[in-house]
Amino acid sequence: MNPAMKLVNVRKNIGKKEIIKDISFEIFPGEVFGFLGPNGAGKTTTIRMMVGLISITSGDIHINGMSVKHDFKEAIRHVGAIVENPEMYPFMSGWKNLKHYARMIPGITDDRIREVIDLVGLEKAIHEKVGKYSLGMRQRIGVAQALLHRPSVLILDEPTNGLDPAGIREIRQYIRRLAEEENVAVIVSSHMLAEIELMCDRIGIIKNGEMITVQEVEGSSPKDQDLKVYIEASPKEDAIQVIQSAFETSVMEEDKFIIIHTTKDLIPKINMELVHQGIQVFEIHSKQSSLEDKFFEVIGENTIA
Amino acid sequence: MHNFLSLLKNEHIKLYSRFSTWTMYIILGSIILISGLIVFFFSDVGIEEYGADWKTELQAENEEYREIASEDEFMEGAYDADIAKNEFYIQNDMKPASYDAWQLTLENAGLSMLITLFTIIVSAGIVASEFRWGTIKLLLIRPISRSKILLSKYVTVLLFAISMLVFLFIFNLLVGAVFFGMNGVNPSIVQATATGFEQVSIFSEIIMEYGLSMVNLIIMTTFAFMISTLFKNSGMAIGLAIFLMFAGNTLVGVLSQYEWSKFILFANTNLRQYTGNGTPLMEGMTLGFSVTVLIIYYTAFLLISWLSFTKRDIAGS
Repeated sequence: MNPAMKLVNVRKNIGKKEIIKDISFEIFPGEVFGFLGPNGAGKTTTIRMMVGLISITSGDIHINGMSVKHDFKEAIRHVGAIVENPEMYPFMSGWKNLKHYARMIPGITDDRIREVIDLVGLEKAIHEKVGKYSLGMRQRIGVAQALLHRPSVLILDEPTNGLDPAGIREIRQYIRRLAEEENVAVIVSSHMLAEIELMCDRIGIIKNGEMITVQEVEGSSPKDQDLKVYIEASPKEDAIQVIQSAFETSVMEEDKFIIIHTTKDLIPKINMELVHQGIQVFEIHSKQSSLEDKFFEVIGENTIA
Repeated sequence: MHNFLSLLKNEHIKLYSRFSTWTMYIILGSIILISGLIVFFFSDVGIEEYGADWKTELQAENEEYREIASEDEFMEGAYDADIAKNEFYIQNDMKPASYDAWQLTLENAGLSMLITLFTIIVSAGIVASEFRWGTIKLLLIRPISRSKILLSKYVTVLLFAISMLVFLFIFNLLVGAVFFGMNGVNPSIVQATATGFEQVSIFSEIIMEYGLSMVNLIIMTTFAFMISTLFKNSGMAIGLAIFLMFAGNTLVGVLSQYEWSKFILFANTNLRQYTGNGTPLMEGMTLGFSVTVLIIYYTAFLLISWLSFTKRDIAGS
């Protein structure tokens, strides 16, 4: 399968400073790719290079085989994007704003515009001025303008910014739908891991302008298989001994907690064993390890803004 | 071509969707209306009608002028032009035409200064606003070259200036026709020229006045366009353009002792110095020289705008 978007040794220097250091990766049709990193890591810079808003110092970006550097118009023709906040003309209605962008690409009919409005659920407010829209509505109209020309690559920079939980869920659902049903390659950037984990097939983690790792997001089933379990029990030393002897697992300590890596079905057994041995158990809670740990591992906890 | 027209349409919709654009027309219209009213109610010089013995009336008028001039030494020479004009009428046996819509239109040609001001405001905002609103990002990620987008904006500014001039012209005629009537389709008028007085068509006179003011308009508007594209700041572009528009002549005056001052833009924007009874600012300056200087500045302004717009990294908002 040919990649929908391909970054080849992309670098960006501003002055003497290296903002992006040699990034290469590929995104395929029908895939939702998460672009994850702390604020200031270079996500937005990379996205701006993808859509030609800023120049590429060296390397190149190909969209459907066309170079953004040398064949911008052909490359960008099949791209829909929101870069940072989806700003619109506040003094015009949503409809007029969409018409404005529709005029810039041939072949977008009024029917198509209505279809997109329908998709993002803005029918009621479409003839109101965008200046009166809430942040959530602006996000929707932003998505609408990105979808007008049926792009094969959709780039969304922080698409859930300012949305309420219901809105986030909705966006998530139609991003998945676009990828699965219309074979669109979707690139979503975020600094929120949980969000990206829920909608992406693969995630690239970027830090200080470098792509640190690209990895698959596992399905939901293995999540129960790799848990980080926190146990608060007294006396702590006895509890550690009980756990080590009964379950033959390595144990870590953190503050008042005992931490073990285990599976979900073992938690009640551990609890039973501890109680059985006369140890007082105050609290047991678990966290999914997997991505979150890896995320912090690679970028370091304190760099999260 | 099709998508360029679409871009023009977009720019016009954006321009005319804002109330501030309409206020400019309203202000201009009000001033024309007021000027018509003032002439109609308060001015006795402009609109007096001459009777059958208009020659004696003109002579009496001249006597009056001479009397005022001799009584008050400050007024000496103040009426020379009026006296000469009246004598020209008498000598050539021409009855002066009464004040009419055409005259009002000609007198209000000075309002094109206001149009220059408005066009500078529009020009300063048309690129900078896209940056301010953040919409520049969504505008430039379409399959259209940046040059074309910039050109559509520049052409929109010029079309705005033209539509304002047409509005000024037509509204003047309209107001004038209502208050003073019209002396035919293209009456003639007596104007001072380098060689004395001459009878000229008022229509060509109006076209020349409006045309000459267009020179300043286009240059200053393009200057504002350049500043706004360079610095993404409309306030700065408006301020600088208007300041230079008014201070430019003073600047030239201060520096006129130097030979090179004739290369300053503002020494050349006023092409009236080569028409009628005007005298060139400095010796050796000709119409050809000024036009060449203007074209060089104009090209430089456009080139700088174009380079900065097409090469710029659109980062941060």
